[in-house]
Amino acid sequence: MKKRILIIDDSESIRELLGNALENAGYDVIKAIDGKDGVSKLEEPNIFLIISDLNMPQMDGIEVIKHLRKHPVYQFTPIIVLTTESQEAKRMEAKEAGATGWMTKPFNTDKLITVIKKIIR
Amino acid sequence: MDNMKHIYIEEAKELFESLEKSLLVLEKFPNDKTAISEVFRIMHTIKGSSGMFGYTNITQFLHNLETIYDLIRNEKRQLSKEILDVTLQSLDHLKVIIHDDELIFGNNKKKHNELLITIEFLINENGAEKTESIIENEEAVSSLEWSTYYIKFIPSVEILKKGTNPLYLIDELHSLGECIALPRMKELCSLELTDPSCCYTAWEVFIASNSSIETLKEVFVFVENECTLTVSEIAPFNLIADKTFCNTFCSNTLEADFINTEDINEWVDNQIQNENKQSNSKAITVPKHYTEIINQKEKSITSIRVSSDKLDELMGIVSELVTTQAGLKLLAENTNNMHLDAFSETIEKLTRRLRDVSFGMTLIPVNTMFGRFQRLVRDISYDLNKEIDFVTEGGETELDKTIIESLTDPLMHILRNCLDHGIENAEERKKKGKSPKGKITLKAYYSGASVYIQVSDDGKGIDLDKIRSKAIEKGLIQHDSIMSDKEILELIYAPGFSTAEKITGVSGRGVGMDVVKRNISNLHGEISTETEIDQGSKFSIKLPLTLSIIDGLLVKIGNVFYIIPLSVVDKCYEVKRNELDNFNKLIVFDGNQIPFLDLRVEFEVHEKEPLIQHVIVVNNEDRKVGLGIDSIVGEYQAVVKPLGKHYNGQDYISGATILGDGTIALVLDSNRIIKRYKINHLRTEELV
Repeated sequence: MKKRILIIDDSESIRELLGNALENAGYDVIKAIDGKDGVSKLEEPNIFLIISDLNMPQMDGIEVIKHLRKHPVYQFTPIIVLTTESQEAKRMEAKEAGATGWMTKPFNTDKLITVIKKIIR
Repeated sequence: MDNMKHIYIEEAKELFESLEKSLLVLEKFPNDKTAISEVFRIMHTIKGSSGMFGYTNITQFLHNLETIYDLIRNEKRQLSKEILDVTLQSLDHLKVIIHDDELIFGNNKKKHNELLITIEFLINENGAEKTESIIENEEAVSSLEWSTYYIKFIPSVEILKKGTNPLYLIDELHSLGECIALPRMKELCSLELTDPSCCYTAWEVFIASNSSIETLKEVFVFVENECTLTVSEIAPFNLIADKTFCNTFCSNTLEADFINTEDINEWVDNQIQNENKQSNSKAITVPKHYTEIINQKEKSITSIRVSSDKLDELMGIVSELVTTQAGLKLLAENTNNMHLDAFSETIEKLTRRLRDVSFGMTLIPVNTMFGRFQRLVRDISYDLNKEIDFVTEGGETELDKTIIESLTDPLMHILRNCLDHGIENAEERKKKGKSPKGKITLKAYYSGASVYIQVSDDGKGIDLDKIRSKAIEKGLIQHDSIMSDKEILELIYAPGFSTAEKITGVSGRGVGMDVVKRNISNLHGEISTETEIDQGSKFSIKLPLTLSIIDGLLVKIGNVFYIIPLSVVDKCYEVKRNELDNFNKLIVFDGNQIPFLDLRVEFEVHEKEPLIQHVIVVNNEDRKVGLGIDSIVGEYQAVVKPLGKHYNGQDYISGATILGDGTIALVLDSNRIIKRYKINHLRTEELV
């Protein structure tokens, strides 16, 4: 079975770009359009990793992390947040809330795959 | 696994031999293209199997070595004497480290790294001129590039809650260089106070690497706020190769205190001074040590590998010999020559022994097959998200290698079914009061001339009602068919049957079990099922030890000889023809009623009936059936030969054998005869 990764991002282009890259790398991808949608997607089984944007409508990344860390099934699941250079403070906040790692935008997808491979096996 | 390693080492040694030969050919004819590709191929083969068996150092080493020959093969590089020298040296080194892949011996480690560096240079260099100067500087280079670092990594207690697996970080360090990781668990409190979601382990790591200190720190970039991290360089060369260093500092007790870095520094300084003094004498002692290891290990291997073609040929010849010997015995009996008789008997004894010994050679332990299943079960249970305890028993049981080969697929199918349909998921198991971990047992054992292989699970069992309704739905049985539980259970082996509500990728579309049954029957085996709701199911496969020679009972019906395998024969009775009650097809022996089947009638034999007939009682599944024949000739060792293509249509004769006088006897498959009779019989009843 392929490992399933949940992508939470409000930008369709980023979702598609990441989704494509991850699928090519052999992962099973499910996508959510914002934090709220993302949380509802946690009903799905066998999620190995979550990649989430920070700034999103409805429910932002920090809340997603907080929710996740209380989730009965996924509280230990790694979560990578996508940040930009200017969001140093936000990044620390995410880390505080329980994010596993971060990727600074813009990044190339190969780098993301390398990071993912370090976090999940 | 140890047994498999044994095989790997033997194979590798053979390959090293051929590699050496090819290299020597290359030395004479450096432009011999076939020799070059041969060298490449052999290296690649060893590399492949080394990887499979977890010999990481050898794999990596060969990978580098292979790169050079890949370049040569593609004519990007000219083969030089240097390359050959290094390759031969490497070969000698490989022969040593095949017994020491972890490079526990400091000398091996040193040599290993030296060779690796040389090979690296051979890959990167542009021309042959540079090599010499590089080899001279080799020592210096290795000191410059490799440094040993000390890392103290104390993750915060909360680290697991951030989704980080600290073990992956340690693994990543391993990928950067040679690494000794020492876990420290001083923080671990008593069990009842331990929170399983917290991390109490800290690590001290010695790593010898050619990466910079920044690269090492980068490993921990995501966790820099969740841990206390110290990274420091302790020596400008590879300390881990040093055995005494490891002994001094790498005590692997979990409760040990953290190491004092000053102690290390002091030790290193001392060591550098000593090294300078000793370096000359060391160089001489090394080769002695090497040859010692080689000699020791070579003595311990006591088996040789023989190609299976040769074994098959041997079996063929032994079979011919058994047939010929039967002819000799017959001749000796008929000629009344005492001397010939004596010879014939001796030859019979020898033939029998030769037969047993050579058959013993083709038997291999089922462990070779069980090993593969461990992996399969692990992978599938992971995919299905079920926790499985997979136990194998009786792995030392031996079976004919052809049987083992054809048994892998059916067993794999059964295991998949157990995993997918048998074992419930963890929640369901908990509800039923079972342990959340499912258990599957794979067991092999001898019983008489057969081997039994059993797969049992402690899952939900097979629901007979479900099978029944499914079979009706699929049109396999009639709505009002009256069937015993056993017969219903048999339906799972019917073609096109699947009870899984959802078809999953694991156990497929239910095309499996009928194929399983067919494969096993082809091996003259039988499969039976037992099941109990919520207790689990058990699949038992019964197999003959070997296929090509069977002990049989030679009997005669009309003018034709038949062989009934002795393994199914229970008892033989003599009966007067007129006492046979052929009306209700039952016969009473020793107070038991036994179904009776007259083979004269079955085979439509029209010759005159003898006054006294024989009835052979055979075991058929779990009951006994009497088979009527004309006369018993005696026990016979039958070398079973396949029937020709024209007889593929029938299935109650499983083969033929040649008797001593050249006549042919047919080997009967009693189970098939009985089954065929049952089917025909039932059909006629329905018609009536």
